[in-house]
Amino acid sequence: MTAQPPAAPAPPAPTPPAAVSVAAGPIDEPPVIVGDDTTGRTRAASTWRRMRWPFLVFVVIALFVLFLAVVRPPTSADPYAPDNPEPGGGMAVAEVLKDQGVRVTHVTSVADAVAAAGPGSTLLVTPNPAFFADDQISSLNRTGADLVVLQPDFGLVAGVSRNTVDSTYGVAEGPVEPQCDDPAARAAGAVSLAPGLYDTSTGSDAVRPVLCWPDGSGNFAYARLDFPNRSVTMVNDPGVLRNGSVLEDGNAALALWMLGQNEDLVWLVPNPMDVSTGDDQPTPAERGQVNELMPPGSAPVALVAVLAAVLLALWRVRRMGPLVVEDLPILVRSAEATRGRARLYRAARARGHAAAGLRASAADRIASRLGLARSSDANTVVDAVVAATNRPSQQVADLLYGPPPADDAALAELARRLDILESEVHRP
Amino acid sequence: MVVTWRAAALMGLGVVPVLLLPANGTVLVWATVVVVACVVDIVLAASPRRVAVQRLVPASVRLRSEATSELVVRNASGRRLRAVVRDAWGPSAGAGPGRGRSERVRPAPGGAGRHLVNLPDGEAARLPTTLVPTRRGDRTAGGVTIRSLGPLGLAGRQVTLPVPGRLRVLPEFASRKHLPSRLARLREMDGRAAVQIRGEGTEFDSLREYVVGDDVRSIDWRATARRREVVVRTWRPERDRRVLIVLDTGRTSAARVGAADSTGAPRLDASIEAALLLAALAGHAGDRVELVAFDRTVRSRVVGAAGPRLMPAMAESLATVDPVLLETDWPGVVTQVRTRMTQRALVVLLTTLDPAAVENGLLPVVDQLARDHTVVVASVADEEVAGLRAGRETVAEVYDAAAAARGDLERTAVTTMLRRYGADVVEALPDDLAPRLADEYLALKAAGRL
Repeated sequence: MTAQPPAAPAPPAPTPPAAVSVAAGPIDEPPVIVGDDTTGRTRAASTWRRMRWPFLVFVVIALFVLFLAVVRPPTSADPYAPDNPEPGGGMAVAEVLKDQGVRVTHVTSVADAVAAAGPGSTLLVTPNPAFFADDQISSLNRTGADLVVLQPDFGLVAGVSRNTVDSTYGVAEGPVEPQCDDPAARAAGAVSLAPGLYDTSTGSDAVRPVLCWPDGSGNFAYARLDFPNRSVTMVNDPGVLRNGSVLEDGNAALALWMLGQNEDLVWLVPNPMDVSTGDDQPTPAERGQVNELMPPGSAPVALVAVLAAVLLALWRVRRMGPLVVEDLPILVRSAEATRGRARLYRAARARGHAAAGLRASAADRIASRLGLARSSDANTVVDAVVAATNRPSQQVADLLYGPPPADDAALAELARRLDILESEVHRP
Repeated sequence: MVVTWRAAALMGLGVVPVLLLPANGTVLVWATVVVVACVVDIVLAASPRRVAVQRLVPASVRLRSEATSELVVRNASGRRLRAVVRDAWGPSAGAGPGRGRSERVRPAPGGAGRHLVNLPDGEAARLPTTLVPTRRGDRTAGGVTIRSLGPLGLAGRQVTLPVPGRLRVLPEFASRKHLPSRLARLREMDGRAAVQIRGEGTEFDSLREYVVGDDVRSIDWRATARRREVVVRTWRPERDRRVLIVLDTGRTSAARVGAADSTGAPRLDASIEAALLLAALAGHAGDRVELVAFDRTVRSRVVGAAGPRLMPAMAESLATVDPVLLETDWPGVVTQVRTRMTQRALVVLLTTLDPAAVENGLLPVVDQLARDHTVVVASVADEEVAGLRAGRETVAEVYDAAAAARGDLERTAVTTMLRRYGADVVEALPDDLAPRLADEYLALKAAGRL
């Protein structure tokens, strides 16, 4: 169906800019519109005008984040972590050790710790919020590294000491002298660390623990076992490492002595979700190599699917022109006032008011049906109703002018009986 | 810039080469192919900014009847135009799917007013869209969006052109079905009906000879004495009386009435129906009809239109009247009536018998009106309240019924007060108000009270 539009303009010149051209037709002739009076340049300019402030804000925020990232060294908030500068962290000791030439390796899983530690290095195990599994403890034992354990739980104490030490609960009661023959203890001197380790070794044990800083009841704050190729050191109080308490008494000397013995220090901050042991061959998923589980070529196919999905989104997201706006109509129901009044009656249990309304309305209708004046008094109405229905006068008076109903059921019953009464009334 | 589903499908087809040569490089090459194809398509698409568009819309249409918005699209781009064209209208304009059925114009899927266009260079086509408006007033069209696609249909360009368009939606005047029966009654009263009965009314018409069956009370003895036969007077209803319809557009006219399970319609719509029927009837009866829509100021007015010009003027003037959320200024109404009507007239107030609003607004001033004019107060009742009144099933319904009964009593009291001041009151459900008001008018006319 082709039609020549009335008063169509000559086709516009093919050179930009395309402009709105309104044909001057006769009166009441709708205008013919060509183009929206924009060119590529004006559209780019308007896009820039629209987007420049959001763009500027975005750039400022990005620059600020970049500035923060460059200026501030990366830190964490994990307790006892070597990059945590807060009072609960271990950054002070780690930085001093680094300055002294110790290579500090921060790990968070047993598997990584086992991979990083070996003979001739030190493996520090900071307190675990959960518990180590038995096979994790034996993995830690098998690394050949000197082991330093802070605030070990029962299982870890027994595991790393081969059942020669056990732990209990103790409270520090001021600085005490080490009272033992251990170089680290002698260097540290008096400290106030919580005791809680005690000797359970028997004569048959090849290696017996050296215990230092006792309290009055035979519990010690520090235990050290010298196995043939490695040593195991346990400190019951992790305060020896914390930034907040490392400067008290001899804590710093003890921490540096324990951790600075070897050139390599593996710093394990256990993660409660970690179940790795570092023993068996790790699964591909554990090594972060999901691809090996997938059929070959699946990654490029997934990439194709993602790109296709992006195009689908671009297709669907583009509107076919802007929405057309229209004033909303007013949507208030006329009956809302009546419903609201009914709820007020009900909420206030105004049965008297409700019943009075029903009675007056019924009496009004009955009176007009019987031809009574609107101003008729109660006795006149009752007499007329009695004459029309042959009901007892007392009953009719009770129904139309009786006391308010006692409860909701009585109100419903009253409404029903008023209906019946009204249906019985006919013009005499 | 737009892409279509075909571009996504083309990208998806990349699975085949990737499976044959599984490497990320293959994906890169395929993605480049898709992007290049889309860019070529965009470059080859006809420029939507070189398409001339004109929108032809009828000036006005009745509510719920059909109108056609027609776009005349002329391709002056120098290329074949393959495009989706959307004729955008607001939701209450009730635009349907495109109606074109030819090789150049087809309805497009996915929405109202969309057309698929395939036009060679230099040719034009008409794109008709059916509109069935669901709301009174001026319905303004949105822009015309042209999405011009390239020859491959992968991508294209889109522009929305500001093409003006306005459709005035007139009141439905569904009450015109009551007009023939009322006109018949009017003719009977006029004495012009096929069944010849003596014309009712109070205005002296003429003298004629007595025939058997005439009322002996209408014998004119003085004229009989002058002549030899008995002469009777004939009467006819008054003509050229003045009728002023005042439409209250204040806040109470905004409330919606209708069955509980429908969205209902504003009271004002029922009032407008009644006003239109009354105006049509009074216009036919030879009375001079005026209309004022008023809340705190005059929203619309019809003055001095008579004969065939009356009803178009009424419809045009009532089309854009909307409820305003303001309290009606009744003393202002009285002033309006006084300035418009210097002699006795029938003043019809189309308002709401809301007890509180009437007590504070209409009641103090109605006696001033009733002193000089015949006043009829017409009000729209609510079907939903009538339903609440009959509820007895649950305790909550009984309370609803009690509240409705209380409301009835208050309304009855207000009605009584209005009648005492000399105003007639007509209260009816929305569909019944127009015929009831027409009957009231006929009754007043027959009684000679105009």
